[in-house]
Amino acid sequence: MAKMTPSNPWMKPAQRQVAGRPVARPNRTPSVQAYVPEFLKGMSLTMRHFFKNTKEMMLGQTPDPVLEALEEGVTTINYPEQKRPYPERFRGIHRLTLREDGAPRCVACLCCSTACPAQCISIEAGEYPEGDRRRGYERFPQSFVIDELRCIFCGYCVEACPVDAIRMDTGLHAVPYDSRDQFIYGKDLLMAFAGRAGDHKTANPRHEPGDPGHPGVTREHEH
Amino acid sequence: MTSVELFLAIVKILIVILFLLNTAAIATWADRRQSAMVQDRVGPNRAVVHLPSMLVRLIVLLPPSILGGIALLPLLRGVRPEMAMQTLPISAQCAVFVAWFSLVVLCGSVRRGGAMNSAEALLKGIEPRSIFYGGVVAHAVVFAALSTVPERAVVPAAQAAGVVLALLLFVSGIYTASRVDEGTYPLRLAGMLHAAADAMKMIWKEDFVPPKGDKLLHGLAPILALFPALVTFAVIPFGETMCFESDPTKLLRGAPPPPFEWSDLGRVAHVMGPGVACRGHLVNLQVADLNVGLLYIFAMAGTGVIGAALAGWASDNKFSLLGGLRAASQMVSYEVAMGISLIGVLMTYGSIQLRPMVQWQSDNAWGIFVQPFAFVLFLTALAAECKRVPFDQPEGESEIVAGYFVEYSGMKWGMFMTGEYVELMTSSAILVTIFFGGFALPFLHSDGLNVAFGTTVVYAYKMNHLSVVIISALAFFGKTIFMTFIQIFFRWTLPRFRYDQLMKLGWTKLLPLSIANMLVTGVVLLAIQGAGPGVTGALRVAADVTQGIVALAFAAGFVAVVVGLLEPVERKRFIKSTTSRFAAAAGGTKATTQQA
Repeated sequence: MAKMTPSNPWMKPAQRQVAGRPVARPNRTPSVQAYVPEFLKGMSLTMRHFFKNTKEMMLGQTPDPVLEALEEGVTTINYPEQKRPYPERFRGIHRLTLREDGAPRCVACLCCSTACPAQCISIEAGEYPEGDRRRGYERFPQSFVIDELRCIFCGYCVEACPVDAIRMDTGLHAVPYDSRDQFIYGKDLLMAFAGRAGDHKTANPRHEPGDPGHPGVTREHEH
Repeated sequence: MTSVELFLAIVKILIVILFLLNTAAIATWADRRQSAMVQDRVGPNRAVVHLPSMLVRLIVLLPPSILGGIALLPLLRGVRPEMAMQTLPISAQCAVFVAWFSLVVLCGSVRRGGAMNSAEALLKGIEPRSIFYGGVVAHAVVFAALSTVPERAVVPAAQAAGVVLALLLFVSGIYTASRVDEGTYPLRLAGMLHAAADAMKMIWKEDFVPPKGDKLLHGLAPILALFPALVTFAVIPFGETMCFESDPTKLLRGAPPPPFEWSDLGRVAHVMGPGVACRGHLVNLQVADLNVGLLYIFAMAGTGVIGAALAGWASDNKFSLLGGLRAASQMVSYEVAMGISLIGVLMTYGSIQLRPMVQWQSDNAWGIFVQPFAFVLFLTALAAECKRVPFDQPEGESEIVAGYFVEYSGMKWGMFMTGEYVELMTSSAILVTIFFGGFALPFLHSDGLNVAFGTTVVYAYKMNHLSVVIISALAFFGKTIFMTFIQIFFRWTLPRFRYDQLMKLGWTKLLPLSIANMLVTGVVLLAIQGAGPGVTGALRVAADVTQGIVALAFAAGFVAVVVGLLEPVERKRFIKSTTSRFAAAAGGTKATTQQA
């Protein structure tokens, strides 16, 4: 008997005034209490939304999800078919720009791989064969590999490139593949991407060695 | 039972099972679509099949061609005058419908895609709604004009109407097909393909059984959940009784009709009606015409609880067990209110079988007008019985994860889901049968349309037996689907009750109210029986008025839907932030990657 039974911690102690001001009960009108009128109100609201949105979706009248996002109606962007407009200088997946003859503009100078803070670019340079007029002036990439998982999309490679051979203007995200090796983009794939204007070249002119506009030294010049 | 009767029974079972399983799948789709549309989302619609334009042309061309062929068929076989009386109004009204409908569709696509020739440019200037109003006026004009057609001109008029209808169908089909451009067209069926893809995924998913669960019961529970929902449909009549006539040469006067033979299947009676007896075999469009009728439904609905309770027990999971217990106690307590709320209805209809109930509603008024209060009570109890929102505590995901099917995956889970939606379809069918006239349509009797208020006949139109049967079956399935649609809407409108609120509602509100409803109904019925013929006549007219209200409401609903569909959309542009200013300068959402 000496031991008191411990009071239930979930019950408030008996005979003690509850401190504080009582919270006002929500407004319980008869119509709220009867449930059915409120239920009908709710049904009319949901049905209005349903019929309006269904009609607009079926008839292709949905609002533009970007411009009219505050307007009533479906505001989902159907991602692969619809996209938000990207800024003009959005840095997407890299592409290798092409020369007139379809070869990559890249001269395998390794500027981009040197500039890359993530070290995601790996280039194996090759020499043009003896007798080619480009031999001695530039090399070509035997393999040009970018690990898109390592890439941090900083754009330094684009800025480092002296011949405008690498660009990030495809407007593409890295696609969610199902294995890591699929993120290793090779030369052919990088060359296959087009810019947002849809072309594989760039607007900057390119001068072959020997052309009158070629800025570099020529074989006839002394160093 | 002859082999023919066995065959017919199997056909009826197949109709019911296929209807239930298909509409259950479609109901899952409708459920998700509603949730998306109510919340201003697109919802799941990523599954897609790309159709080549040739296939699209074929799909556009086939249905009108087939319908046109059907319209021409009676002309080739020769038209009898009594047949012409039937086909003339149908063909004429269908022709008007096809005309305005194709004009509206063409007008819409011209307004979206641009006109291809001068006739389309002319159409572009017309408001689609005025085309529709013109069509409604044309319907009325044709209706009035047909009553002035003299008796001997009926056959050529019917032929002409059939030819016009077929021509309109062919022309609209070919013109639409010619407007289909080259290329591929994505077919999503408004997200229905996504539901199909989900079902396929479920079949191949891993079937996980908890290691310490009861393996046998774990496998048995989904079957026990699905089975009662399917078999409840057996007693529900889904169409007028069909009459197959026996071979007249074998039919002897005074003798019982010869046994049902295969050749009798081709001899559907031409005309049935109140005064016409079937000279052959009657086939109820109902899997089993049990004399216990409604009691069988209650019994089977009560069995449904076993599946949920077993699943909760066999899963070896506390959440599951809680869900199973909740399901069991909820279904047991609402069973009482459900049964008693229908006693008033049973007293009114004077039968416990479902076909006489439908017959009573066809002859008098729909149950919703006779027993509106019982309808509300029964609907509430039914939602609780089917574990639908707002009574879905057994699977209340915010409290007990997913309730009794936490530990289920793959197709076993899919069977619970299917069972739930089949239950939904079945409960809608029960509601339709008891309160919305079942397969009966207002003023449609076994011998045709007869719009009459009391004894004054406003309009009469004879129909043959087969078309009445088909229309009644379509009416039943259509009403059931509509009722399901409404029931699904509850889910996207109502929040879930607390469990104590649920029990309080069941025992302290629904039960006393349904007993009160029963008592009041009994008193009123006694009063009507004791009242004079004046009261009975007035009630009969009132009943016909309710039928008229239903017909008018249907027509008004159709007009409202079409007008709503054709209503133009006005949009305002909200440019608030710098981002949206940029987006506006870039021209809004882009269609392709390269543009973005």
